[in-house]
This record gives sequence, structure tokens and C-alpha cells, in this order.
Amino acid sequence: MKGWGLLTTGFALQIAFIVRWWEESEVAPLGLRLSIGLGVLLSAVGLAQVAGRLAHTRNPLLGFTPAALTLLALLVAAEALLRAYQVPPGLVPTPTRVLATLYTVRDVLLQDAYQTVLKEALVGYLIGCSLGVLTAFLVSRYLFLERGFLPYATLFSSIPIVALAPVLVKMVGIDWPSKAAICAITVYFPVVVNTFRGLTEVSPISLDLMRSYAASEMQQYRWLRLPNALPFIFNALKLGTTLAMIGAIVGEFFGANGQGLGFRIQIEAGRFGFDIVWAAIIVASAAGIVWYGLVTWVERRLTGWHVSFRRG
Amino acid sequence: MLVVALVVLALYWPIMYLVNIPAAQRALDTGAALPCKTAFECASQLRSPVLPSPQQLWDGFLSLMFPLNSPNAIPLNAAVTALETLVGLLLAAAVGLFFAVGMVASRAFERALLPWIVASQTVPIIAIAPMLVVVLGQYGVQGWLPKAIIAAYIAFFPITIGVAKGLQSPDPLALDLFRTYNASPWQTYLRLRLPASVPYLFTALKVAMTAALIGAIVAEISTISFQGIGKMLAENSRASDVVAMWVIMFASAALGILLVAAVGWLERLLTPWRQAQVAPRSKAPPARQEVRA
Amino acid sequence: MVFPNGTVALKEANLEVAPGEFISLIGPSGCGKTTLLRLLADLIKPTAGTIYIGGKTPEEARKARAYGYVFQAPTLMEWRTVLANVMLPLEIMGFPPAERKARAERMLELVGLERFARHYPWQLSGGMQQRVSIARALAFDPHLLFMDEPFGALDEITRENLNLELLRLWRETGKTVIFVTHSIPEAVFLSTRIVVMTPRPGKIEAIIPVDLPQPRSFETRELPEFFRLATEVREALRRGHGYEVAE
Repeated sequence: MKGWGLLTTGFALQIAFIVRWWEESEVAPLGLRLSIGLGVLLSAVGLAQVAGRLAHTRNPLLGFTPAALTLLALLVAAEALLRAYQVPPGLVPTPTRVLATLYTVRDVLLQDAYQTVLKEALVGYLIGCSLGVLTAFLVSRYLFLERGFLPYATLFSSIPIVALAPVLVKMVGIDWPSKAAICAITVYFPVVVNTFRGLTEVSPISLDLMRSYAASEMQQYRWLRLPNALPFIFNALKLGTTLAMIGAIVGEFFGANGQGLGFRIQIEAGRFGFDIVWAAIIVASAAGIVWYGLVTWVERRLTGWHVSFRRG
Repeated sequence: MLVVALVVLALYWPIMYLVNIPAAQRALDTGAALPCKTAFECASQLRSPVLPSPQQLWDGFLSLMFPLNSPNAIPLNAAVTALETLVGLLLAAAVGLFFAVGMVASRAFERALLPWIVASQTVPIIAIAPMLVVVLGQYGVQGWLPKAIIAAYIAFFPITIGVAKGLQSPDPLALDLFRTYNASPWQTYLRLRLPASVPYLFTALKVAMTAALIGAIVAEISTISFQGIGKMLAENSRASDVVAMWVIMFASAALGILLVAAVGWLERLLTPWRQAQVAPRSKAPPARQEVRA
Repeated sequence: MVFPNGTVALKEANLEVAPGEFISLIGPSGCGKTTLLRLLADLIKPTAGTIYIGGKTPEEARKARAYGYVFQAPTLMEWRTVLANVMLPLEIMGFPPAERKARAERMLELVGLERFARHYPWQLSGGMQQRVSIARALAFDPHLLFMDEPFGALDEITRENLNLELLRLWRETGKTVIFVTHSIPEAVFLSTRIVVMTPRPGKIEAIIPVDLPQPRSFETRELPEFFRLATEVREALRRGHGYEVAE
């Protein structure tokens, strides 16, 4: 257990310093800074050894341990170093300060999250996804649409969405629907392209099989094309969660009605309230991860047969 | 494709009138000084239209394009943004390559970092941009460099994932073949894994290019910038110049398409063996799995 | 040979091969013929027993680059031209540049593909790709050639042509060949000896010498002796199957 010993010693060194320097407001003397350096080094070496030992484990909990320890080591090192050099908290707040702020302003941030996630991002996401799937169905059914429409959908993926945001905010207004519109548009195109691929990349033999059953076109979609498209659709849906979050946050940079995570980040970054910015980022990330997890959970229930779930 | 473009253009006029006439009527009712009399006439001349008329867009385009070397015109600003994006992309490629090689070479490294790289795909990284600009500015990193760094920061994730996938893409038989040659790990990387990852790298670069461009523009918006597309957007957003915003939107769309097309061109140049290859679509690396920020 | 999960893949495999022989390993899927070949090539390690290749262990032989290996699939590098693919082992083994090119061109001539030197692999048919991969295995002039069902994925007509060509190569180069197949006619046609293997656990059921006249041609397949040998191999394979049922 050599790795664990080093890791614990390294953490202990750094945490001892953090406790010792909790109230101080001066740069730590050289000796103490060296001990932090030693602590960081020890924990890094220990971490490498622990990770090496757990590299081939099959237990998911043990497999995740190195990642969890990496995050912990980064946070502890950041806390110790920021305190040692007395970096002004207005510039880079320490992790503990961010957590404290997160707790203090939780009500404001929850309201912001309600506005950004549940109203703007989610509404836009749902609209964009359903329109996208619908479009893909039509495009896969009618050849002239495929020729005329699909090239634009592909082209659209290389357009920076931020340029769209100010125009839409001006067009629809600064309230939440403008941001929902931005999210809908950004989600829409990947969903169209992916769903279309899923609906059309069906093996010719399966199509022949359907034909041999004298299946109607509706039946063909119901029993072959749609199941085939599900993995593709879910890829787009997962991608869409991130796109929707980004769309909502960036949209708020261009005007909001005094609420929203993007608005909060923009305002507080301007007045050096970085502890609140970080807290808002944590909330946004948590919302993003939960949302992504939800979509993945639905995907597992619906497409458990797919190759990507076969292992383990 | 052309037909659809024509249909959209033909529909644009009626829709434009439809949405602008109420706004024009309101403007007339409030007695604003307008160079027109009827709502229909005014619909194509509003200062902040819901949809600008083609004539307005064209005029706006001309006034924003020329003179070509003006600091307030699109060409110079687009060039600055493109430079930030490209430098950012190069930085991102270097960092992404490092992480990808590390992850493929060491399972421990992968176990420690991959969960966070995946989690970061679900995080709106863009939110960090405004703060990063201010913090970097405090340490004297100013001008176009912080924007490039932010662009790189946003773009390196898709590259890392893409290249890691590419490095692991060689057939197990090909790895066996190198073993029968008693090839060194270095030779296996240079002659097998790296060339095999090139197509994946380019797929990732296309995604990363858009991400980097967005990063650069957002960085320009959220700081005091003197040049760049983002600065033009922010300025015109403050001045509520709707027509200019439309023009800039089209310009940045063109810039995005141009930059991605450049990657595609480079890809064709550097991977001649894939040319004209009618590869089954499933054989090409999956294009749309990475996050497009 | 025992896999970590306890599956016995190979048991009692005693075989001695003389230089210049053409040995076929034949048997149904899962009988361990590929495992045996991979053991010889040091792509996996035996749990017990010894293998010597010209007095060397498989690992020493691999490090001395004593053998060329042809896989089921051509495994050509798609970013290299046909010529560059044949030069690959020569680059890795540090041959001087001029010699690489000369050797690779000679090998392509040997397999009759000199006209396609500048093509990329995808421009070639499956049979041609496999010929390139044989040229690549011969490029550094190893004494031994290991072939793991190299023609398994090809159609019967292409396969028969390539069989003839392989025999010609074997005569001209004088290599020792160990050839894995699951086709009885192919084994009889090519080999000087056939090793019949049976599954679960993999073991050698019979070793059948083939004394059909050399050089062999299309007519060889019509000799009564050819049918007699094919029947002998088939019966040995069936005996192996009976062993499994009795268990």
C-alpha cells in the first residue's frame, strides 16, 4: 500500500498547512511553501501509483477511485497554493470559498438555474428535438427534400451559434423565449442529420426482408427504420443537452431579464465576483451532467440491445 | 439544393412584410420620423426590423465590408478572429495529442482523467470564458492571445477524444503484424497508430474548429476588445443596430464554413489514400459523437 | 496451452518440421490450429512445453525476425501504396533505403503485381491484397513462412489460382511453410504433410504425409491419389469428431 501512504502523507502536509494558514493574510514563508511543494509532489506520485495499481480492476467503484482522487488532489493543491501565495480571492477564489459562496447564494442560483435550465434550455431542447426528428422523417421519405435540405443542415453545423444569439435576442426580446429559440435552433440541426442517417443507413438485406413480408411503408418505419435510428437519435439527443446549455448561457450574455446562469456569470465576472461565477459554473455543470445522465438512462432502457452496451 | 435556396428567397419577401408591417404600424403610430408614409412602405425601411429587407441587408453589407482595411469593417475583424481561432486550434491540437497519447499509452492515466474529460463534455465550458479573460488579463496576457487560449481550451476536448479513438483504431491483426516484425513501441506509434489516427484527427478538427471559433468570439464579447467579430457583435448589440447584426451573423457563418472547409481541404491534401475511396459510411470515423460547443 | 480462464486450447501437440517442408494444419473451428501458429510466432506464450525453431525459442526467433506471418486478412496499411506496404518490414528492420525499394519491387514481381506498385490497397481486389501481404511477408527473406488461413475469405476460383501461385513461390524460394486451413482440398493440394487437429481439447489426431508428384498443377486435383488422401484426411477429422461425442 505504498501509493496510499504517499498520497495520505501528501494530503496531510497540504491540509495541515491550510488549517495553519486559514486566518493569515500574508504570503507563507519559504519553509512552508516548500512543505506544500513536497505535499503536492508526494500526492502526485502516490496518485500515480494508486492509479497504476487500479488500472485493470473490473470493480466500477475501484475503477473510479483514481479519477475521484485526481479531483480531490487538484482541489487540495489549489486550496493550499492559493492560500500560500495569497492570490486575491477576487481573482481566483479558493475551492472552500467557492463552496461557501455556493451555499450562501444558493437561492439566487437555484432561481437562475430554474430560468436557464428548465425554461430556456429544456423548452428549446424539446422543441428543437421534436422538430428535428419530424424533419428527418420527412427528409428520409421524400428524395427531393434530401437533395434540397440536407446539404444546408450539414453546412449549418460549421456556423458559430454565438453570432446567431444577438440577432435572436433582438428579434424575440430579452425574456426567456429568445434563449429557448437559440437552444431549439442549435439542437435542431444535429438531430436532423443524425436521425436521417439512422433512418437511411439500414442494411439492404433488412429492407429486402421487409419487402418479402409485404410490409407497408408505415410498418417498414415502425419495425425497421425507427429501431435502427434510435442509437443515432440518442447520440444527437445527448449532444443536444450540452448544446442547449451552451445556447442558453451564451444567449443570456446578449441580454436577459435579470436572471439566469449566463447572465449571473457575465455580470459577476465583470465585477470580479469570481466566487459566484464558479458557484454558477458548478450549478450549470451539475445540471448538465444530471440532464445528460437522464438521457443516457432513457437510452439504455430503449436501446439496450445495441453493441455499445454489450461489454461488461 | 439550389431550388430550396430559391424557394427560401422567394418566401423571404412576403414573410418579411408580414412580420414587419405591425412593427411599422406601431412606429408610424408613435409618430417616429420615418422617410415613408404607409406601413407597407415602411416595412422595408425600419431601423430595427424583425426581419431586415434584402435591400437593407445589401446596404449594410456594403457599408460593413468597405473600405476593406478599415478597423471597423468586417474583413480586418474577421481576419483577427480567424487568427485567434487558428492559433487556438493549434494549441488545442498539441494539448489534445498529448492527452490522447498519454491515455492510450497508460491505462492509469486514462483511469484518472477520462471520467473528467467525458464529464466536461456535458458541462457548458463556454461559461468559463468571461472569467478566464479577466484572470488572464490580470496576469498581463492581453490582446489576441487570451482569446486564442480560450479557443484552445474549448477545442481540445473533441481533439483528445477523437485522437485517442484513432490511436486505438488499428486492427489487432495489424498490431500482431508489428509484433512479428519485433517493432519497437516507437515504430508502432510512428508507422501504425499515428497514421491510423489521421482521419479521426481531421474529423475531430472540424468539430474543434467550430468550437474554437465560438470560443474566440465569446472571448471577444466578454472582454474589452478592439478587434474581432465578437467585438463588432457586442458593439452593434449595444447600439441596437439590427441590420448590422444580421450582416455580421452571415459573415461569421461564412467564416465558420470557410474555416471548416479549409480543414477539409487540408484533409484531402494530407490523406491522399482516402481520395475517391467510396468507403461505406460506417467505416468512416463517427463524425457527430463529439460535443460541438 | 491453457488460457487464463482454464480453457485448454491445446494438449499433446508434438510435431517436428524439417526445412523446406510445406505443412498444413487442418481441423474444424476451435481446434487450436491458429493457437498453435500464434504459439510458434510468439504472439502468445505456452503454459507448458517447449517449441524450438531452428534451435531458438519462439521469442528469440521473433526477435531474430526468422519468420514472416500472413494473417487471415491482408492487414495492409491503407495510407501506404502497395510498394510502401511491402517496404514496411524493411523500414522497421532498418534496411538501407535503396535496398528496400529494390527488394520490394522484386517481391511484387514475384507475386505478379509490379504494375500496381503505386496503387493504394483499396484499389485492389481481395485476392490481390492478399498477394501483397504475402510479398510483404517474404520481403525480408525469412526462412519460415506462417500462414493463417490466408485465402479463407476468397472465392473458390481465386483461391485455386493463389494456391498454384503459392506453390510456385514455395518452389522458387525454398521456404518452410506452416499453413493453417479448414479446406481439405487446399491442404492436400499444397502440403508435403498434413497435420489433422481435433477440438476440445485441441490435439493432433493424425499426421498424413502427402506424396503427390511435384510440381503440382490443376491436373493434380484429378489424380486418384488426391481423392485417396482427401478421404484419409476427412476420416481422420471424423474420428476426432467421434472422440468428442464419446465424451
